[in-house]
Amino acid sequence: MKLAGLKSVENAHDDSVWAATWVPATETRSALLLTGSLDETVRLWSSDELVLERTNTGHCLGVASVAAHPSGLIAASASLDSFVRVFDVDTNATIATLEAPPSEVWQLRFNPQGSTLAVAGGGSASIKLWDTATWDLIATLPIPRPEGPKPSDKSGSKKFVLSVAWSSDGKRLACGSMDGTISIFDVARAKFLHHLEGHFMPVRSLVYSPIEPRLLFTASDDMHVHMYDAEGKSLVGAMSGHESWVLSVDVSPDGAAIATGSSDRTVRLWDLSMRAAVQTMSNHTDQVWGVAFRPPGGSGVRTGRLASVSDDKSISLYDYS
Amino acid sequence: MEKTEEESEEAVLKRLEESVNACPDDPSLHFDLGVLLWEKGGKSEKEKAAEHFVISAKLHPQNGAAFRYLGLYYAQVSADTQRALKCYQRAVSLNPDDSHSGEALCDLLDQQGKESLEASLCREASAKSPKAFWAFRRLGFLQLHQNKWSEAVQSLQHAIRGYPTSADLWQALGLAYQRLGRFTAAVKSYGRAIELDDTDVFALVESGNIFLMLGSFKKGVEQFLQALDISPQSVSAQYGLASGLLGLAEECINLGAFRWGASLLEEASSVAKAGTHLAGNISCIWKLHGDIQLAYAKCFPWTEQGQGLEFDAEAFNASILYWKQTCCIAAVSAKRSYQRALHLAPWQANIYTDIAIASDLISSLNKSYGNNLNAWQLSAKMALGALLLEGDNNEFWVALGCLSDHNALKQHALIRGLQLDVSLAVGWAYLGKLYRKEGAKQLAKQAFDCARSIDPSLSLPWAGMSADFHARNLAPDEAFESCLRAVQILPLAEFQIGLAKLALLSGHLSSSRVHGAILQAVQHAPHSPESHNLNGLVCESRFDYQSAAAAYRRARCAISSCSASISKSYTRDISLNLARSLSKAGNATDALLECEDLKKEGMLDAEGLQIYAFSLWQLGKQDLALSFVRNLAASVSTMEQKFVVASVSFICRMLYCIPGLDSAINSILKMPEKLFQNSRVSFIVSAIHALDQSNRLESVVSSSRSFVQSPVEVAGMHFLIALSKLVKQGTEFCLGVQSGIAHLRKALHMFPNSSLMRNLLGYLLLSSKEWNDTHVATRCCNIDASDSANKVGLKSASEILGAGAVACYAIGNKNRKFSFPTCTYQCLKEPGAIQQLQKCLRQEPWNHNFRYLLILNFIQKAREERFPHNLCVVLKRLISVALSSDLYTKTDMSYQKFQLLLCASEISLQSEDNIGCINHAKNASTLLLPDDYLFFSHLQLCRAYAAESDSLNLQKEYIRCLELKTDYHIGWICLKFIELRYNVQNDTNILELSFKESSKERNYSWNMGMAVFNLVWGLISLRNEDFLSAEEFLAQACSLAGAESCLLLCHGATCMELARKLCDSKFLLLAVKSLTKAQETSVIPLPIVSALLAQAEGSLNSKEKWEKNIRLEWFSWPPEMRPAELFFQMHLLARQSKSVSISSSNVELCQSPQRWILRAIHTNPSCTRYWKVLGRFDLIQRS
Repeated sequence: MKLAGLKSVENAHDDSVWAATWVPATETRSALLLTGSLDETVRLWSSDELVLERTNTGHCLGVASVAAHPSGLIAASASLDSFVRVFDVDTNATIATLEAPPSEVWQLRFNPQGSTLAVAGGGSASIKLWDTATWDLIATLPIPRPEGPKPSDKSGSKKFVLSVAWSSDGKRLACGSMDGTISIFDVARAKFLHHLEGHFMPVRSLVYSPIEPRLLFTASDDMHVHMYDAEGKSLVGAMSGHESWVLSVDVSPDGAAIATGSSDRTVRLWDLSMRAAVQTMSNHTDQVWGVAFRPPGGSGVRTGRLASVSDDKSISLYDYS
Repeated sequence: MEKTEEESEEAVLKRLEESVNACPDDPSLHFDLGVLLWEKGGKSEKEKAAEHFVISAKLHPQNGAAFRYLGLYYAQVSADTQRALKCYQRAVSLNPDDSHSGEALCDLLDQQGKESLEASLCREASAKSPKAFWAFRRLGFLQLHQNKWSEAVQSLQHAIRGYPTSADLWQALGLAYQRLGRFTAAVKSYGRAIELDDTDVFALVESGNIFLMLGSFKKGVEQFLQALDISPQSVSAQYGLASGLLGLAEECINLGAFRWGASLLEEASSVAKAGTHLAGNISCIWKLHGDIQLAYAKCFPWTEQGQGLEFDAEAFNASILYWKQTCCIAAVSAKRSYQRALHLAPWQANIYTDIAIASDLISSLNKSYGNNLNAWQLSAKMALGALLLEGDNNEFWVALGCLSDHNALKQHALIRGLQLDVSLAVGWAYLGKLYRKEGAKQLAKQAFDCARSIDPSLSLPWAGMSADFHARNLAPDEAFESCLRAVQILPLAEFQIGLAKLALLSGHLSSSRVHGAILQAVQHAPHSPESHNLNGLVCESRFDYQSAAAAYRRARCAISSCSASISKSYTRDISLNLARSLSKAGNATDALLECEDLKKEGMLDAEGLQIYAFSLWQLGKQDLALSFVRNLAASVSTMEQKFVVASVSFICRMLYCIPGLDSAINSILKMPEKLFQNSRVSFIVSAIHALDQSNRLESVVSSSRSFVQSPVEVAGMHFLIALSKLVKQGTEFCLGVQSGIAHLRKALHMFPNSSLMRNLLGYLLLSSKEWNDTHVATRCCNIDASDSANKVGLKSASEILGAGAVACYAIGNKNRKFSFPTCTYQCLKEPGAIQQLQKCLRQEPWNHNFRYLLILNFIQKAREERFPHNLCVVLKRLISVALSSDLYTKTDMSYQKFQLLLCASEISLQSEDNIGCINHAKNASTLLLPDDYLFFSHLQLCRAYAAESDSLNLQKEYIRCLELKTDYHIGWICLKFIELRYNVQNDTNILELSFKESSKERNYSWNMGMAVFNLVWGLISLRNEDFLSAEEFLAQACSLAGAESCLLLCHGATCMELARKLCDSKFLLLAVKSLTKAQETSVIPLPIVSALLAQAEGSLNSKEKWEKNIRLEWFSWPPEMRPAELFFQMHLLARQSKSVSISSSNVELCQSPQRWILRAIHTNPSCTRYWKVLGRFDLIQRS
């Protein structure tokens, strides 16, 4: 397996690009790359040439996270002022605006079934679930404190929730916090199951394997990528190699490899069978905030694609094979 | 050689082995052998050595060294850590000072992670021996590692005694002190570490951080720069440098030096940016960068582009746009940087507040809320974000209170903040501001008072206090002071504008503090018309009308580009201000344009009409101006009271200026009398009245004068009355100086302190051309008064003194070496005019009048001293400097130029440069001046030609003089002198006639003039040896002049000569009479007088009187100037007294007659008479 650089767009945004995700292909068009940036815009790019399709404005602060519905029809973007905009991918019509108190929206993810949007609740130390049909709040899943609430510690800052991920079957939800703990929830019962220990610095990104619903990959500021058996509450493997914070992680559609982006300005490809980095891409000149594998599907596209976005305002596209 | 050494070593080894074999129980032999083998270095040898060490240690278990070697062996050779540990432990416990074993032991323990064991071991060793410095060092580092700061300090201090040059120890000590909060000690320790090792980046950075914490940013910045020199990639040094620069910049900004601050911030920003490139994922660097950019956005000052005189609205708007854009870009950059910081560390609550503040600044700069889809405003929302994370932080509550738009929420937030901390001064202050805005004055006052009592160094409460000074019953002065305090604490544009407004109310507008403040306000609020308008007012009060006009133009331009609606009256006020300052700056055309614009919009009020009329008048459109004056006059009755005075004054003045005196008087008589019931109007009316010979305004003036009340005003009115008397009592050609003097003398009696009147009196006295008035003039002015009081009036006291000194040669003459003044006005006690004028000239080197007077005084002095060379040189230079000035090209200065040229001519004449003299005098004669004056230039030419013995030209100039004529009798006298002296051909007696004509008007001076005229005649007769007629002339002179000792002396001397020639005792009696009178009248004893008198009395056989007079003569000479004859006379006197032998108190008895003779001969050895007398003495002695 290897990555080969295909295309790179310098100055794709006016400022740092912070988030990237793929909008799955629909009948009428192929998959699109969705990026969010500090310049308060969200942009849509068509692959493989990375032609700018549209620029969505409307956020007052930098866009910290973007998410795409599995249908490929709608997408959501969230900015630092905790303002979530859900819009039609093709028309840019606003479908809903979800407002939360500031500091209480961080990462967004649609569940694989497309019925729910999970929002990492930042300072509220919880995950909020929104119904994608009515755009009502379905549930709030709070993270319990390990030692019970302390009266002196009023601030919830210890459990600031940064990241969220759905299992491939949609039954489990994992979230990463700034203190390094990972919490697993049972979605159907809206119940907290357990913590996964191992990281001791913020977990900024996590992702379930598309093949194995138990397998969870996490990226943390402690420069490690962990592989957990989420059900078994156990650390399966720890992979080191990045020289700075690991900011993002994504699993390849075949479940055989993961890609990570890091503050050390590199993108690494890890072979899961070898549990080691097989390739390091250092084409970015600043920290890499997002990596995303293109989901399979669409008209005649069989080859794998990986996109990475960085503080250097550029987007890079690689061929994954 | 080596070989032998080796061999010998071998031999020693062998010998030792033998001896060991010989006595296997001697541990020291085993040890020595072991050491020897160990040194050889091979593995097998080391093993052998180890065996010997083991034996040695067994035999002598107190030998620590053996254990040390064993430890070394186990650690290095056989890698048996446990045994090595034990051996080392034994070695250390036997000899705690053994640093080698100790270090090795600790290293081993460290490798195994047994930190506590290591610590206890070190503690044990250090307790055993104070010299175990290695243990102290280890212990210190360990304690430092375990954050036991105070214990670490002790251990490290002890360790430093053992290793005083170890930079690491000093560094560690510095760190321990720093953590304990003992910053000065920490700085010293770090400083020592840097001294020992100047590449110690850690010490540099940490001491820099301490400096920043202590607020000495400059020192901190230096440390960081040094650290960056060594390690340019050090992020912490870059962070420190950037924050140090930020601190410096904030200091500058608080002082009001915005441009300086901005440049520092630019530097800081680039450093911080470099830091983010090195470490892009450190949230605090991004936050620092945001802080720097935010400070930059707040402090970047507006600068005017295009410094030309012409106001360019486009350039102005462009410069404002540029300023706004720069601020906006910085603010946006700040917001971006904060967002990056937040993205990296979203759990840090304060960054939310930072973003809130930055976005609030951006929206206030843009004034648009544009694409905000939220119901919440972004800034308030982000402030709330901080609170969600840390709800118990009172500062966040205050921030929310400031940033929110809803007053209810504001109040709630501020009160919550105060609930958390009741002594939060900022909270109280903002609460006060909120209440004030809502109109709850009483609550606002309480809140502000509360804030001020908690923290008097907060500016907002002071500003709030001054803002509602009406409600607080504060005097405008107090309000101004408290606002000034607010501005001094924090140079905020709003405060500064408020300060200028209060200054307007309290009359401090021209204070430079207000000027500085408003200039700063303009830099930060260039888009606000108010700041420009106030700037204009401040400039105007400082008499800088050009800048004021420019400021008003900017203000108007700012209004037009301002989106908010501004009341029409405000626009009108600014236009009026503009017109007024333009008019004051002398730019009547533009002022007129402004007035016309105002008129078109129908907003021309009383003030506008005045400016309009005035500008028209300045531009020569008399009729139009007059019609506007009439309009103004018609509207006086409906005017507000405060405008009436100014309007009436203006109307009167314009009426006088345009149609003339009569029309002005008629109009005044028509106006109702109550309009004139004001002191300021009274002055105008009085001035007009002064010019009116027929006194038509008598009643108006007298009624309005009763409103002149304050002492200063009354003095001013007397000044005006005195001037009016000059005009009214004078003839067509001559001012009535005497009546003015009389009035001032009376008035001065009431206001003895008024320098205004004193100076005018002095000036008038000087102008009166009367004989003695010049002396009075110099005495009535007070030159000791402070400078400010000295300047009032038409002439300053020093100028009067200088002019008076020129008029009388005796003033300021202290040196009796040169002359014996006979002036009876006793001016000798006056301070030297020359000194006084030099003082003045030093104070005001630009004042030409002082220089001019100084030159005249110098001429006087030079004349008195018979034109010594050095004075002539000084004068020449002074005159050439004065004449080179452009000032004297003006026609109104030509009299002064004339005088200076005559002075130059005189100096040339005296230094025997006749050509120069003639040139200067000719120059002078070409000036455009009345004949009166030109006479003197031709007189000077006469003198010059006379000196050249050019009788042809002399004759010509003489005739010219006769043609020109002069009023000054001294001129005629001089001319007469020349005529007689050089036998100029003269057929008529025009001269005598003109002379008599000229001096008719002055009664006393006429006598004096005639006397001098007669003196000239007499002197000429004397020269012609016509003693009889000379006596006649001089007798006449004496009778005319009264008691003038100089004339009397001449007369007396002539009589004596006549008596000698004709042997007529009648003349002797006459001589006695004149000389006695001369003796009586002279202020200081005149020489010769007494001698002559003695001679006369002697001739009349009155020996007693002869003696008395000779003695008097002795004292009337200054000691160094006594002539030989006087000594001779004293000898005679001494001989007389000797024979009679009266009391010894007489002066002649101080030495013998012979010595008197000797002194006479010494003074004048050429006189045979003295020698003869001396010879007689010799004869007497010999006999």
